[in-house]
Amino acid sequence: MKHCDKCNITIETKQQYCPLCHQVLSGESNADARETYPDYISPRRMFLPTTKKVILFLTILSIVILIVINWADFDGRYWSLIPIGGIIYFWFLVRVGLFSKRNIGFRFASLTVLLILLLILIDYEGQSQIHGWSIDYMLPLLLMTCNLAISATIWIRLLDYRDYFLYLLVIILFSLAPIILVLTGITTVSWPAIAAFGVAIAILLFIVFFFPKKIKEEIKKRFHA
Amino acid sequence: MNQKLTDWFKLDNSGKIFPEVSNQRETNTFRVQVALTEEVDSDILQMATEGILERYPMFKVRMKHGMFWNYLDYNTKPFLIQPMTHEVCSALNPRENNCYLFKVLYRNNMIAIEMFHSLADGGGVVMLLQSLVYEYLKLKGYNVTPDNIIKTKYERPVAEEYEDANEKYYNAKNRKHVPEQRAYRIKGTMLPDNLTGLISGTMDTGKVLELARSKNLTMTEYFSALAMDVIYNTQIRYRTHLKSNQAPVKIFVPVNLRKHFPSETLRNFSNFVKTNLVLDRDDITLEELFEHTHESFQNGMIKEELIRKMSENVAFEKNVLLRFMPYFIKRYALKIGYNMLGMKLNTMSMTNIGRVVFPPSMEPYIKDVTAAVAAGKYNAVNCAILSYKDQLKISFTRSILETNIEREFFRHFTEKGLDLKVESNFVEEFV
Repeated sequence: MKHCDKCNITIETKQQYCPLCHQVLSGESNADARETYPDYISPRRMFLPTTKKVILFLTILSIVILIVINWADFDGRYWSLIPIGGIIYFWFLVRVGLFSKRNIGFRFASLTVLLILLLILIDYEGQSQIHGWSIDYMLPLLLMTCNLAISATIWIRLLDYRDYFLYLLVIILFSLAPIILVLTGITTVSWPAIAAFGVAIAILLFIVFFFPKKIKEEIKKRFHA
Repeated sequence: MNQKLTDWFKLDNSGKIFPEVSNQRETNTFRVQVALTEEVDSDILQMATEGILERYPMFKVRMKHGMFWNYLDYNTKPFLIQPMTHEVCSALNPRENNCYLFKVLYRNNMIAIEMFHSLADGGGVVMLLQSLVYEYLKLKGYNVTPDNIIKTKYERPVAEEYEDANEKYYNAKNRKHVPEQRAYRIKGTMLPDNLTGLISGTMDTGKVLELARSKNLTMTEYFSALAMDVIYNTQIRYRTHLKSNQAPVKIFVPVNLRKHFPSETLRNFSNFVKTNLVLDRDDITLEELFEHTHESFQNGMIKEELIRKMSENVAFEKNVLLRFMPYFIKRYALKIGYNMLGMKLNTMSMTNIGRVVFPPSMEPYIKDVTAAVAAGKYNAVNCAILSYKDQLKISFTRSILETNIEREFFRHFTEKGLDLKVESNFVEEFV
């Protein structure tokens, strides 16, 4: 036991100073005495912080340069949006798709939605003569792929099914959009939309028939107020 | 009672605000820690924890976002105990923690639980820790008995343990909002890297109680008044002309409502009383502060007043506008509201967990019990008090480097001739 004459306290430690007044402690600590609390360990270094900083700097710099060139040489078209969209999508792909520990349903759904938006941008801002391929083909087919991917995930990791249910429902709802575009005559090619619709309805029916209670409960949880 | 009846829980009234306003510095976690008389075996502790979590489904949860509110959903991932590090009441990292909202830590002869305040308050954690230590000692092969003090894993959980008692006892007619003034903030040098300093002192319960009784005060009243006096002497006195020193010093003391209302809940069920006095003279004495503290605690403890404070919070939560605001907007509303109103209303929080009782068969294995609450930017020094057998343990946590508040607080007792044994995590050596 050590003793601080100034504060008149006893303390069991190998440190030399009183924690209250920082004066030197008198007395000897017991031979088998241990510190009550652990020593300091400096926090783990983040994953290559310099590399991340350099890449982020280059990304923002290139976005600024693209905007400046587009603006200086403006001919009525916002072509810089395409490479900027590509860069932003790349960042999401790395951050959310590869390095994130978030729910895989969320990652599938958000990356699909972003990819669709990027493809629509390329479709309508690009110089190609043919427009509409993104909405005609890519939108329904990507949603369908995403639907199947999340369903497969649930099938494989049945234990955590509740984590993915909501994202599956959202994508199923989205998959009904292409069929509306076909019915209103905005798109002319109908087979991808019908295929996506069919898959979505099939999965939805499967859930409603085989997991009616679970889906009800999941909705109750997510929407309680 | 079927324990699989429900596998998700709504957050309780006080629990709803914490996820939005917590970060690396304001962690809103707290710790209760037991020192055994022998080394802790981490494998047995892991087994004990797993067994106990089946008894307490309330704690086997993770937080998820809903459309309008967060909620607690059953966690399928395994719970892992961790060795104690230098961090005290640090923010919970969902990655290393499998999204659980509490940690079980071990070191040498200590077992500690660090809990996020959304899930439970001090009362609930003490119950969990008692069960955990019981289960641990049982698995070690000792002959210990629960004696109706401890909930063992062989019992079934009951519904009362999960109830949101605030909602049960609130009264919509008694919910007047009383505006409050911003409190004095303790000044000091912030510790880097969100470090937290911990200094605890152990004294004899009987002698301290005698001291408080001689002034006709309860122990909590005595400590709160003393804390005000220490803050006054170290930070305010002779500098009262400064604008920042003219704010009232408010010591926030949580009140365990389980003692005032019949409830067995494990979730948050506490309210508070506060001292509230502007210390703008140069000749304030401790006696004066005793009087003020006694009076404000007596008034705060009246049942109508407790219900009013409870209803004020519940009414806020039941506000239709807030209730049906989508979560991603609401979280910012709560954050801004709390920054403007809630965070700066206290100078220091002083939690008195009270007496922790173990069955006589367990007492030979338990050396002492400690509690600690997180300290942040606005409550730079916090205090947690707890007694076990005849030991009274007062633990100060701080987010600043200076220790003069702790020093003067403890010197008050040593000058009166009490024996004081100190423990510290020596945070000043870290930087």
